[in-house]
Amino acid sequence: MISQAEYSKEKKVGEGTYAVVYVGTKQSSNRKVAIKEIKTSGFKDGLDMSAIREVKYLQEMQHINVIELIDVYMAQSNLNLVLEFLPADLEMIIKDTAILFTQADIKSWLLMTLRGVHHCHRNFILHRDLKPNNLLLAPDGQLKLADFGLARNMGSPQDFLTSNVVTRWYRAPELLFGARHYTGAIDMWSVGVIFAELMLRIPYLPGKDDIDQIDVTFRALGTPTDKDWPEISTFGTYNKIQFYPPPSREELRRRFIAATENALDLMSGMLIMNPHKRWDPIQCLTNQYFVELPEPTTPADLPQLNKK
Amino acid sequence: MSGTFQTQIMLSRPYLTREQIKRAQQNTISDRRVYNQKRISVFKYLCDMCVQFKFPRRTLETAMYFYQRFYLFNKFETELCYDVATSCLFLSCKQVETMKKVADLATVSLRLRSIVKVSPELLDNCKKRIFQMELRILETCCFDYRVNNSVHIDDLLVKIGKDLKLSHEVCYLAWLIAFDALKLEILLMVPQHTIAIAVLKIACELTEGVSWPNVRYSLFESDELSVGEAYFDIINFFINVFDLSDLRAHVPNNLRNVGIETFIELKKQAGLEKGLKEPENVSSDPYVVKERDFTIQERRYVLYGKRISDENKPIKQETKKEKV
Repeated sequence: MISQAEYSKEKKVGEGTYAVVYVGTKQSSNRKVAIKEIKTSGFKDGLDMSAIREVKYLQEMQHINVIELIDVYMAQSNLNLVLEFLPADLEMIIKDTAILFTQADIKSWLLMTLRGVHHCHRNFILHRDLKPNNLLLAPDGQLKLADFGLARNMGSPQDFLTSNVVTRWYRAPELLFGARHYTGAIDMWSVGVIFAELMLRIPYLPGKDDIDQIDVTFRALGTPTDKDWPEISTFGTYNKIQFYPPPSREELRRRFIAATENALDLMSGMLIMNPHKRWDPIQCLTNQYFVELPEPTTPADLPQLNKK
Repeated sequence: MSGTFQTQIMLSRPYLTREQIKRAQQNTISDRRVYNQKRISVFKYLCDMCVQFKFPRRTLETAMYFYQRFYLFNKFETELCYDVATSCLFLSCKQVETMKKVADLATVSLRLRSIVKVSPELLDNCKKRIFQMELRILETCCFDYRVNNSVHIDDLLVKIGKDLKLSHEVCYLAWLIAFDALKLEILLMVPQHTIAIAVLKIACELTEGVSWPNVRYSLFESDELSVGEAYFDIINFFINVFDLSDLRAHVPNNLRNVGIETFIELKKQAGLEKGLKEPENVSSDPYVVKERDFTIQERRYVLYGKRISDENKPIKQETKKEKV
């Protein structure tokens, strides 16, 4: 089967450590796509692990709230991943002060994020890098989880995992303590922080470095005790940290002025220190918050970036 | 043709039948005996590497799959096979999350191959060859990460054994048998959980007082013919070379009397050999007949046939219109 090339690269739109991203076209359907060309030369350890993970986990996942991997191809000796073209991300929206958004909009974005995370977790995949920058927005308003370069499957309980995952501000307390065994709860923590950020429109827990992150996190949410998290004292660094009391409900209400009681419940559920008690996607998706008014905005009606 | 570019689309077929494998190897292996000899020494070499790095068995299993798969579609040359094997191991480490630095792998690899004087230059060249092969291996697997991802023989063996309430002793024996299965082409024919069922069955039949529970294989997402393929492949292996097998070297005390005759007896009792149905078109199936052309500029790999048919649709309509 030999014909004209199926993909054309039109414009370079970005360059990361392991790939160059182009906007291109899929000829047979005239569909606009993003093409990630994986750099193969000059790497210390061959084909980058992120590229492998991206293919490995996106290949099998097909969900409206997860970015679609359309194709994988070799061009000469370069590996190319063809992905859905998604021009905006949630970080751009949050930062763009010209855009106003409502509680219904926040509910809609959170709902789509949770659906995507639920789909990953029910397929035993941890995303491990959830942040507004990795939640991309399609022209029809759908939000999609992207960048699976750090993802991995949940594996066996005895597997050792690295705690050096997730962008600092969105890192769960067990990771801050260097846990080598963890679960989908780390993704849920990130979603909780993103939820808070959507309401505040500034990053909720912006630590300056890894040590500061511990301080910022516990100052905002209280230092966990072994009463509500018995295993906590097994972490070596636990005894060295400053003790802060948890915030009262009133303090949370003052910080998140527009949030309803159900919204605060949901956020606090995702930000429970003990990962065993932290809410999972099903608990979150079935929470009253998504039942009460206002209804989540229809994706197509969500605010979009103003086209320049 | 008008375009200067060429493209090719290929559907992944991670498992093939015995005849399909043979047909593909006709293009790549000129001397079957040499290939088989080398495969045994490569397996030994990969085992040694895995022992050195304390890799779990799934790393070895995946490397063996990659190695054998590679030579279905790439010419076999004796000089290069250890480099290919090292590259397969390197990739399998990434696949099953037991990562190691390429420099570490290359150093141990050269040492195990008794290369005494390792200059920095030699090491660098070795690393380069590992990298070069990496993408080619993935290409021969059509970048299909559905296999060798989370299903591995040893994991599944324990899970299925537990489910069938088999004793620790039986499962341990199955685990020993499964090690020999890694040397076989059965890895390319049926998925790992099917091999796990087959070795559990053999282990039950070898253990006195235990009989194989008559279960429907569909409960474990497998089927009679696939399990049969694995079962007979492994039994035949022991009938042919039991004395050289790892099972013989590690057989538990209560099974000291197991020998070739035991397996001949098992085969007799199992009746007619059952296995995967051979398709009729093996000799005309371009997937195994045609040599892979890695010079085509755009080589695409897909997992679902639907994608290919979807793309073909509009093209067909257009040609019809032109004819009219």
